[in-house]
Amino acid sequence: MDVILQMGVSGALMGLVYALVAYGFQLTFATSKSINFGQGELVMVSAFISLTLLNLGVPYWLMAPLGLLAGALLGLAVERLAVRLALEQKSEGWILMTIILGLLFFSAAENIWGRDDHPFPTPISSAPLHILGIDVTPVELSVAIGVFAVMGLIELFKRKTLWGRAFDAVSADRDAAELMGISAKRTIMLSYALSGLVAAMAGILVSPITTVGPTMASALVLKAFSVAVVAGLNSGFGIVIIGMVLGALESLASYYIGSGWREAPGLILLILALAIRPNGIFGAATIRKV
Amino acid sequence: MKKILMSMLLCMSAHTLAADTVKIAITGPFTGGSAPMGVSMRDGAKLAIAEINAAGGIGVGGRRMKIEVIERDDEAKNDRGALIAQELASMDGLSGVIGTANTGVVLAGDRYLQEKGITKIITPAAGSASMTQWVKAGVPDLSIFRFSADDGLQAQMVVAEAIKRGLTKVAVFHDTTNYGVSGRDDLLNQIKGQGNKLQVVATEKFNIGDKDMTAQLLKAKNGGAQVILIWAIGPEMAAVANDMEKLGMHLPLIGGWTLCMSNFIDNAGKNGNGAVMPQTFIEDPITPKARKFIDAYHKAYNVQRIPSPMSAAEGYDAVLLFAAAVKQAQSADTRKIKAALEDLKEPVKGVIADWKHPYSKWNPANEDTHEAFRTQNVVMGMVKDGQVVFANEADKQRMIKQK
Repeated sequence: MDVILQMGVSGALMGLVYALVAYGFQLTFATSKSINFGQGELVMVSAFISLTLLNLGVPYWLMAPLGLLAGALLGLAVERLAVRLALEQKSEGWILMTIILGLLFFSAAENIWGRDDHPFPTPISSAPLHILGIDVTPVELSVAIGVFAVMGLIELFKRKTLWGRAFDAVSADRDAAELMGISAKRTIMLSYALSGLVAAMAGILVSPITTVGPTMASALVLKAFSVAVVAGLNSGFGIVIIGMVLGALESLASYYIGSGWREAPGLILLILALAIRPNGIFGAATIRKV
Repeated sequence: MKKILMSMLLCMSAHTLAADTVKIAITGPFTGGSAPMGVSMRDGAKLAIAEINAAGGIGVGGRRMKIEVIERDDEAKNDRGALIAQELASMDGLSGVIGTANTGVVLAGDRYLQEKGITKIITPAAGSASMTQWVKAGVPDLSIFRFSADDGLQAQMVVAEAIKRGLTKVAVFHDTTNYGVSGRDDLLNQIKGQGNKLQVVATEKFNIGDKDMTAQLLKAKNGGAQVILIWAIGPEMAAVANDMEKLGMHLPLIGGWTLCMSNFIDNAGKNGNGAVMPQTFIEDPITPKARKFIDAYHKAYNVQRIPSPMSAAEGYDAVLLFAAAVKQAQSADTRKIKAALEDLKEPVKGVIADWKHPYSKWNPANEDTHEAFRTQNVVMGMVKDGQVVFANEADKQRMIKQK
């Protein structure tokens, strides 16, 4: 029993990071029906920028907001360079453009920071705590707290502020929203900035556990895709649940079936979801008007 | 006009033939997770080359030949390694190749060199398959030599260490690379070979890049393991050490020599203390020769600590052996160098040991003919506060006496 609990909790905490990256997909999908396929590279580049700040002697608690700011700016850059023109032309060009921009970020990172993995210092202790018979580290708990905090704040913003309500309006009907005086362009820019911020948050939270290197997010982003697809791209709540479930399943599979089978449950879940509920478990059916 | 052109061409070709250099290629992973091994090996080798060149080069037939280096980064990727080996195999006037840190890369590339009969000294890759593949293939003649403590030898020492400590239940951890899998087989063979005194309660694997080792460790814990025998590279071994701390497991970690890699020591921090591994060289100035080498390395590359000391020392000594073979062969021809390596007359004073006739004529039934290291060249090292030190004083005294 202890083992199930330990494996489940460890996995679910890791799964929250998948959820956070997936949440970045969801934010931009809501406003523009586009996603950044280079989201993983944003996580990685933001983590490198944060690490560079730390190495320059910037204290951790100042580094975090600066890192988040860098992420938001990167998100804006992605919107401007890869997405805006394609959306204006109602083409699907953003798919290729975001992938290309991601590759560009990747090779830039390799050239600037090198290909090695670097440890990411954190003031949060990694000495284990024993809670209800299982072992977790404060670093892992900080991941959970960080994920919930940033997602909670953004959801609050979307529901309670005028700017946030504009998200829903643009999501529901872009043209109608424009007629009501909402700038769809600004809303989409904002969603990409938030998406970049979320990526930076994921980078800062996960780096103490995974170390920072150019390939740090390549596995992460694939899992995040699975989470986004299985949960559906409309539900922030669903993404958290599916992220945690996927993380826990991975851990349990690697314990009970064998360490080579770690990735299997995620892939099976993905295939099942696509076969049975293509809009995602928590997704609403979309009607496409032609 | 034609005549002038012809004579000019002749002059040029005559000039290239008479080039007074020995061309050596150094290959290895200079970037990525295996970089500490590759970079240290390369820098150690270049240190030896710089010393030889500064002394005027190698005396061949009244001339002094300097060593010219060609560097290739294989990124620890098998396909890159194969491409590089093909390139080197077709290169004009190459005297030999030194390097390769990853067994998979050796397996992917060395056959191209062997086909062309190009002399290669493998260092620091340790996987047994690197040399046993030639025994399996039964090649009558081999141009590939190894200069590192092979995994068979290391596994023997690792298992002996566990038995010596009076442990009985072990967990075997390995990564899914060629190196990890062949290391696991070596360990299991050695456990059998040394009288089945150890009971294997868990055999667990992980991929390159895995950071969460909770599942593997809990399996070991629930099986009642008293020690983890591990065959992998730095970053993943660090993840094992760190997750052990998280789970409150304080099992000793004994494993392949890669436990000395700086990316294990740095990423594991204090959790890496006490990890024990076979070493051919410890960054401890126990002899004047070792002190000179360590100081020269620190100074030349501006570091306080060699990223992988034994890779550096092996790279250094491998170049000395190669240069001695060039001198004995009195030629930069790779086949003649190979013949000389198989029968080195004069002992070579290296930083690891005095090498007396390290190799002999290739025997297709016994890969030891092309292996330089024997048990007496290897000691146990231990991680202690960011450094690798001698695990026991007796080993240290033995090495001082040997040199």
